[in-house]
Parts: sequence; C-alpha cells; structure tokens
Amino acid sequence: TQISAIFRDAQKTTATHRKLVVNLRKIHEACCYEPTRPNKNSTTEFDESDFNNEFTRCVLRVMPVKKSEGAGEKIIRFIGLFLRHANDKDNELLGEEDADASTMPETPSTRLTTQVMEIILPLLTSKDKFVRYRSTQLISHVINSLDAIDDDLFQKLRHGLLKRIRDKEAMVRSQAVLGLGRLAGNQVESMINSDDSDDDAETGLLEKLLEVLQNDPSAEVRRSLLVNLPILPNTLPYLLERARDQDPATRRAVYSRLLPALGDFRYLSVSMREKLLRWGLRDRDENVRKAAGRLFRERWMEDCAGVNQPEDGEQSATTAPLTMDGLLELLERIDVVNSGVENGVALEAMKGFWEGRPDYRDAVEFDANFWENPTAESIFIARSFNDFCRTEGNGKYEFLVEEKLPVVSDLAKLLDRYLKDLMEVIRRIDSQENAEEDEEEDRAEKEFIVEQLLHIILTLDYSDEVGRRAMFTLLRQTLSIPELPDGITKLTTEALRDICAPNTAGEKEFCSVVLEAVEDVHDTIVDESVIGDGEESFHSARSEVSGDSTPTKKGKRNADNDLNEEEKLQKEVKEIMINMKCLHIVQCMLSHVEGMLQQNDHLVSALKKVIIPAVRSDEALVRERGLVCLGLCALLDRQLAEDNLDLFMHCFNKGRSALQITVLQILTDILNVHGAQLLTENPALLKVYIRALRSGSRSPEVQGVATLAVSKLLLGRVVTDHDASAELLKTLIVAYFDPSTAGNQSVRQALNYFLPVFCYSRAENQELMGSVALDALHALYNVREGLDDDDIDVGDEMASLNTIGACLVDWTDPRKCYTPGIPLDADKKNVNGHVHLDLARDILDKLNSNLSKEEKKVITSLLGKLYVSPTSSEDKIRALYEDISSAVEENLVSDATSRNALYKIHVSLGKIVNQLNEQDKMSRR
Amino acid sequence: HETSTRQRKEKEPFEIDFASPLDKKLAETIFTQAASNSAISLPKKDWKSKTRNLLPDDKHFNSKQLLNLFLKPKARLSRRNRFGNKAAMFGNANQQDNNIIPGDMDEAFWAQREPMQNPDQDTVLPTGDYDANFFDDEM
Repeated sequence: TQISAIFRDAQKTTATHRKLVVNLRKIHEACCYEPTRPNKNSTTEFDESDFNNEFTRCVLRVMPVKKSEGAGEKIIRFIGLFLRHANDKDNELLGEEDADASTMPETPSTRLTTQVMEIILPLLTSKDKFVRYRSTQLISHVINSLDAIDDDLFQKLRHGLLKRIRDKEAMVRSQAVLGLGRLAGNQVESMINSDDSDDDAETGLLEKLLEVLQNDPSAEVRRSLLVNLPILPNTLPYLLERARDQDPATRRAVYSRLLPALGDFRYLSVSMREKLLRWGLRDRDENVRKAAGRLFRERWMEDCAGVNQPEDGEQSATTAPLTMDGLLELLERIDVVNSGVENGVALEAMKGFWEGRPDYRDAVEFDANFWENPTAESIFIARSFNDFCRTEGNGKYEFLVEEKLPVVSDLAKLLDRYLKDLMEVIRRIDSQENAEEDEEEDRAEKEFIVEQLLHIILTLDYSDEVGRRAMFTLLRQTLSIPELPDGITKLTTEALRDICAPNTAGEKEFCSVVLEAVEDVHDTIVDESVIGDGEESFHSARSEVSGDSTPTKKGKRNADNDLNEEEKLQKEVKEIMINMKCLHIVQCMLSHVEGMLQQNDHLVSALKKVIIPAVRSDEALVRERGLVCLGLCALLDRQLAEDNLDLFMHCFNKGRSALQITVLQILTDILNVHGAQLLTENPALLKVYIRALRSGSRSPEVQGVATLAVSKLLLGRVVTDHDASAELLKTLIVAYFDPSTAGNQSVRQALNYFLPVFCYSRAENQELMGSVALDALHALYNVREGLDDDDIDVGDEMASLNTIGACLVDWTDPRKCYTPGIPLDADKKNVNGHVHLDLARDILDKLNSNLSKEEKKVITSLLGKLYVSPTSSEDKIRALYEDISSAVEENLVSDATSRNALYKIHVSLGKIVNQLNEQDKMSRR
Repeated sequence: HETSTRQRKEKEPFEIDFASPLDKKLAETIFTQAASNSAISLPKKDWKSKTRNLLPDDKHFNSKQLLNLFLKPKARLSRRNRFGNKAAMFGNANQQDNNIIPGDMDEAFWAQREPMQNPDQDTVLPTGDYDANFFDDEM
C-alpha cells in the first residue's frame, strides 16, 4: 500500500521527511474525515482503523532493528514527526474554541497515538534487547515530540520508561533516560506553575534520575542524562559534578555542551568557576582540555563582552564585539588575584586565550594610559600576553612584545612606581592596629601588580646597558626593604641573578649584591636601638623609615627608662621577623647559585655569619629556615653535605612532618647532586627513606614526598646499588597496592607513572623488579591477611593477589622493555627472556618453601603467564626445563589451575628444548 | 550466520521491508516477553557506585617534577657542567628547560637519559654539628 511505501522511503534519508509526512497526512485525512468529494478514489474503502492498523504494522517492523542500523532511527524520527504534524493539523481543524479545554479532545491522531503506544508498551519488557531498545527509543521520542498526551496513556508510558532506567542494557537505559529527562523538566515547571503537588512521584522522578546520573555504570547513560536533564538550581550541582566523571567524553560534554547551554557563566559561584576551569584545563584528556579552553575564550569571553544576550544561548558564538573591558571583566570574574598566582589556573587559561583569539592578540594595546593606573586584571593581561608571546609558537609572536611592550628602562620606572605604591599601603596598614578589609584587599592587589611586573621583567633581554643598569640598581634597592613580601623578594632575587652575567664572575657579583642587601635588612634591627634613647617605639622607627617625619610625642611620654614588657616582646618579634627575612633572601639567592661553595668567599661568609648561627638559634622557625639554607649550601659542597648528614637525619627522626618533608627534600637533592655513595656509606640514611615510604598512616604528605623522592633516585639512576634499590623498589610496590594508600592519591598517581616507566626503560630495572617481585607479593599477601581479620570488604579495599601478580608479570615482561632503535609498539619476537626465566626459577624455589597453600597457588598461576623465548640462553632454558619437569613428576602442585599453569610453561619450554635438540643433532651430523 | 549478514550488508545497505507481512520468526522476536523482570534488569549491586563514577582527586602528578631538584626547581638535574652549557648571554636563558612535554616522558625518554655523575671535589669547610638543638622545645 501507499503507507508502507512512504515508510520505505522514510528510512533512507531524513531530507525527504517533511514531504513524506505531508503525503502520509493526506492519506490519514482521507481515511478519517468525511470525504469532501465522495468516491473520488479508492482509498475510501480504506477507513481510519485500516489506516491505524497499517501504520502500527509498519511501526512494529522497526522494533527488531539493530542499534547500529541508521534506518531504525530515521523511521523513529519520522514517526515522531508525523504524529506531531497530525496532532497539529487535527487541533487546527478542531478550531480555537477547544484549545484551552482542560480535557484533551479526542482526535484521529490521538486515537492513532494511543493505538501505537498501547502496542509498543508491552515490548518494553521484551526478551530481545533490540526490541527493548527500539520500543524505549520510540516512546521517549514520541513523548518528546508531542505537546500533550492523554493522561492515562502518559502515566503508563512514564511508568514503563521508569522501569527501563534499570535495564540490563546500557543502550536501553540511555534511551529511557532521554525520555524521562524531558519529563522531569516539564514536571518541575508545572509544579512551579500550578503548585498542586498532587503526587510526589514527580519530584521522585528527578531524584531517581539524579541518582542514575551519579551511579549508572555506563558513561553513555550518564552523558545522555547530562545533556537532557533540566538545568535547575537543584540539579546544577549534580550536573557540574560530572566534570570529574571517570569517562573523558562525559567530562568533555560538561564543557562543550552543558556549560555553553547554561547561559551566562556568571551565575556560577567564583569558586565553582575556578574549579571548573582548573579541572578542565588540567584534565588528563586532551579533548577535555580543548573544550575547556574553548569555553573560556569563546563562551565566557562573550558573556562578558556581549550586551544582554538572548537566553537560548545557542547563537552568539562569535558575534560579540571585541572589548578590552570585557576581557578585564572576564579576569575579574575568575578572581585573578587568586587564580593568577603561580600554579593558579588563570595563566593556563590566558595562554589558551591568546592562542585561540588572534583578534584580541592583535587588538590589545599597552599604551601609556594602560600603565598609568594598573589593576590586577589589566596587569595580568600584560603579563600573560608577554608570557605567551615569548614562549609559544617558536618565537613567531616575539615581535608583538617588541611592538607593544615598553623597553627595559621604562619597565624599571614602572616597577619603581608600583613598588612605591605598594610600600605606601603596607606601611599604612602596619601603622594601624586593625587594618580595614578593603585596605587589605588593596594591599593584595598592589602586591599582585608588582609580582606580575616582575614576571615580565624576568623574561627581558638586557642588551641595552642603560636599561640594565637602571634595573640593576632598582632591584638591588628593592631587596633591602625589610617589609617586602616574600613572593616579591623571591622574584627580585631571581631577576637580579638574570641581570648578572651567567658565569662564575656574574655569580659572585650576584652573591655580593644580595648579601649587601641582607646586611641592610639586618641593620634595621641595629638602627632601631640606636635611634633616640633606645626607647623609641616600633611605630616611630617606622615613620622614620617611611620618611613621614612627624616628630613623635610618644618618645617623650614614655621617657621613663624601663622598656615595658610589651615593647620588649615586640622587639623580639621584630628581631625574629628580620632574621627570617634575611634567611629568606639568602635562601632565594642560594637556589640560584651553581658554583662551588668554597670558591665563592661571599657564600662562605654567608654560611658562617648567617646560616650557621640560624641553625643554632633557639627559635624553631629560624632554625628550620637555617636548615634549608644549610641544605642548599650542602648542594654546593660535598664535604659539607657529608658532615651534616647526621644532623639532617636527626631532624627527620625527631621532627614533625613539615620538617621531615624539608629534610627528605634536602637529602634527596644531596644524593642527586653528589651521588649515592653517601647512601651506601650510611645505612641509616636508607632507613630514613624506608621509614618515610611507610609513614602513610601517620603523615600521608611525608609518604607522598618520599614516593616522589625515591622515584627520582631510582629513575635518575642515582641509586644503583643492588641491595638499596631492591629494598626501595619493594617498598614502593607494597605502597602501591597497600589499601592504606588508597586515599593518598599523591602516592598512587606518582607510582602509577613510575612503576611501568621504570621497568620498561631498562632491562636492568626489569631484572631488579623480577628479583623483588615475589617478596613484594609475599608482603602484600600478609597485608591482605591482616585485612581479613578486620572484617572489611577486602575486594573493595585492595586488588586481588592474582591481579597484583599479573601486574608484576606484566612489568617484567621482556617484550615490553625499551630497546634502543626499536619503536615501543613494535612486536618484539626475538627478545631475550631471562627476566621471566629467572622469575620462574624463583617461583619454583618458593614452591619448595613453607609458604601457605594459598600463596603458592597465586604464584604458581603466574607460571602460565610468563613469556618463554627461544632466544634466551640455552643453559638457562635447559636447566629450568629440567626443574619444571621434575616439579610436574613430583606433583608439586595439587589443584587444577596450578597444574594447568605448570603444564603450560612445561609445554612451551619443552618445545624449545626439542628444537634445541634437533639443532644439536643437525650440527653433529 | 554472523558473517552472512555482514556480507549482505556490504552488497546492499540494510533496508526494512515494510511491504511484506510479518513472518513468524520476526513476530516471535518482537512479542516474546522476557522470562522475568530480573532477566532484563541491571543487578541491584550495580545501582550504586561507590565512587559516583568520579575520578579520584587529581594530584596533577607531573612527570617533569622528576627532573628538578626540590630546593632548586629551576636548576635541572644532571646538568653537571656548570655554566658550560649555558650560552653566554644575558637575560633569561632557562626558557628551553620548559620545553619537554610530560607526555613525551615515556620509557624511551628515561632509557636515553644519561645517569647522574658524581663530581668529586675535595673540600675543606666548616664541619657539621653546630650544637644545633633542634628539638628541645618540641619535647
């Protein structure tokens, strides 16, 4: 008939759907309504029920169509389109009067809809998964296509779909969720409108869907909900949470679909914006990073630049005009004073911005006006632009810097000015008892501005001697200001190092200049006691410094010569602060020094005059900072390192976790710089590392740093001594699988990188891994045994021993090891397999020991997974074959799985041995 | 059977035959109901996910951390010849240190990396143990 012909055409392409719908509707009308010109053609024989039956028959034909067939979906869309069209037409024919009626009028198309749906409904619980898939898809689609559905029918459909959100098949669940997501949206709307909460079922629906969003094992289902649930205040947190979904495509959908659809991003809280940016731009998946970058530089930028955008959010992609005010606002909206610090996300965001927005790159101007009244946002534009142009695109943007940014001597003047502004605020705040909140904010912003300018200065080229000298003098003066915040001190020191020549002479100049500044800072303590009668208050000394020379009346008032307790205390505090400042400058200096210590008189004198006294200080803070400086000196001098090893270890053994971390860092740097003999000569040092690696329960942070430290030592081939590295590696493996580190992601993530890379980078490393594998497994067996007692769900807490064993076998697989000249993914057939042969030998030895039955079972099963290569040495193969053979004969293992594993390796070895025998015979002939 | 459908697909695109009546086999597929609700449902244990299907807290482990000293993050490990490597130019010469992409630091990267060397220097300097009393006030 004509109906099936229309369906036949509709499955091919959606392009003709409109036309086909109109044609089908003509037939429909001809069947249902009184023919205006009776007996015109033969279809009059064909009445409404015939039409409906034929239509339903065609619909049924779609039901078993596989998901992969596009025709199925096309037909379903066609059905939805037709039903909608037919409904609209019927309502038109019905006329206006009934439009607002509370009950739905019955029309031919509602009758058709009901008939089709009633037939399809039972198919939702069909045995065949594709029938369930198509029926769910159709119902969801029809629900979404029609404006109104008969209430009874609607309840049935809704109920049917609700059951399918727990279907066994993800594809069915994801279709069910598609239909219900829209319903949940409508329902919430109608609740707001009518306020008749006649059934809690509706709010229940939303809750159920949110539960699915969080818990459904299939990412497809979660993603489908993510883009179909209504965006409401109570759903938004759940939706945004998917930015951390395990599935990259779902995370990406948050950035590429959900957030752009959200409308103005300024509805989100500042912390949420920052988190979303940080998660997205630092995602492990490149596509997520790209989507997040695009969201920031396009969508969010337009939100700030645009004027009253339309609500639908779809259009407007790149229509907003270019505006620097918009960019300033964008940076303000992501709180750049906080997100623009080092390791903050704003720098990455802006790097992507300059990359992806050539229009802004070209339009940005840094004229005199720009520098006149900088704000945190404006200066960050300059800083990020400078960074971008200097580091990206292999120098092709460098001309932009030359073109747009001021020259060195001008930057020096600006720095001078901004610093003065900052110092003014700092001194004003310091001179008050309680600073106002907005003054603190002002200080933070001014500090940020200076820091950003210093970041620009750090990238400069000092070939212009006049500019260089101006900058040098200014930086040198800056360093002597005791009130300078630490962050600025650090950058200033770094900039000074860059200005001095990159050779030994330059380094000496640098040290001498910095130490002069340290002396200046230190002298402020002395100055104070000299001023007046030595009873001058803290405040008056300050106003002296700031040049604000109002003669102090205080001095006279307190003329009674005894310093009261408070002032004494204040003086002590000040002294400690000054000492801390001096040490900080020295520390900043030392971290940029590379030459040998005793060849630099300045350094030797700093060590004697500043650092050693600090290490001996009574004040814990001063002492610990002194220790870091001592550590830095030790990096420049091996003897010094050796002499102080005991001191460092003492600090580790007795210190709190913060100090332990410092010491671990010092020790590891020392080993890196001076080599690992220090470790082999001092057994106590190895114990420090082992203790630190096992300190997870007491201080996870120490364990995290220790993991990083040991990874460095092993991967960098600093520690090569067999016993020491074996001990360390074993401890790392145990830490990796130990359930106690499950919550310590710094440990887990570092090892996740380290273990495979370590093993696969060198054959020796694999051998080392092989030699500790069974011991590590044994230790983990004990860990697991310990868990059983505590009645925890062991499977959740810890990987099974079989899984761990499989990892160990995999890490020692000789085929996976890097060989120079051969690409990593190449199939390596002829690689020598000693590692696994040795491992097999170790396993056999263990089988003859008194291990528990269970553990023996685990390690025996590994035998079946080992790689046996004919290119290994003949002796080893023959020897192992003999031992395996006797193990088979002696029935060393009893259960079936173990026997299979043993037989498997027996057979593979046997084959090779036979070949060898053949070859022997041949050569003897 | 699997291969035969695939072969047919290659010859002509899949098409639903709407004209012919429903054959028995197809009708059976469509109308056979599942034996029980549980047979077509997700096992209850899968209804809840302990992690809510979220990634663990990302520490942003960066393999480049392994190339730096803890105390001197700007100085690269194993750059033994001090000053020798650095081109004698003013200004910022360290930029190229940043050019390694963490994603490139695979086993091949480490395999090709030179091990650390031990400089041996003779030194006469203040010896350790400066009566440092680190923990008196902590105990």
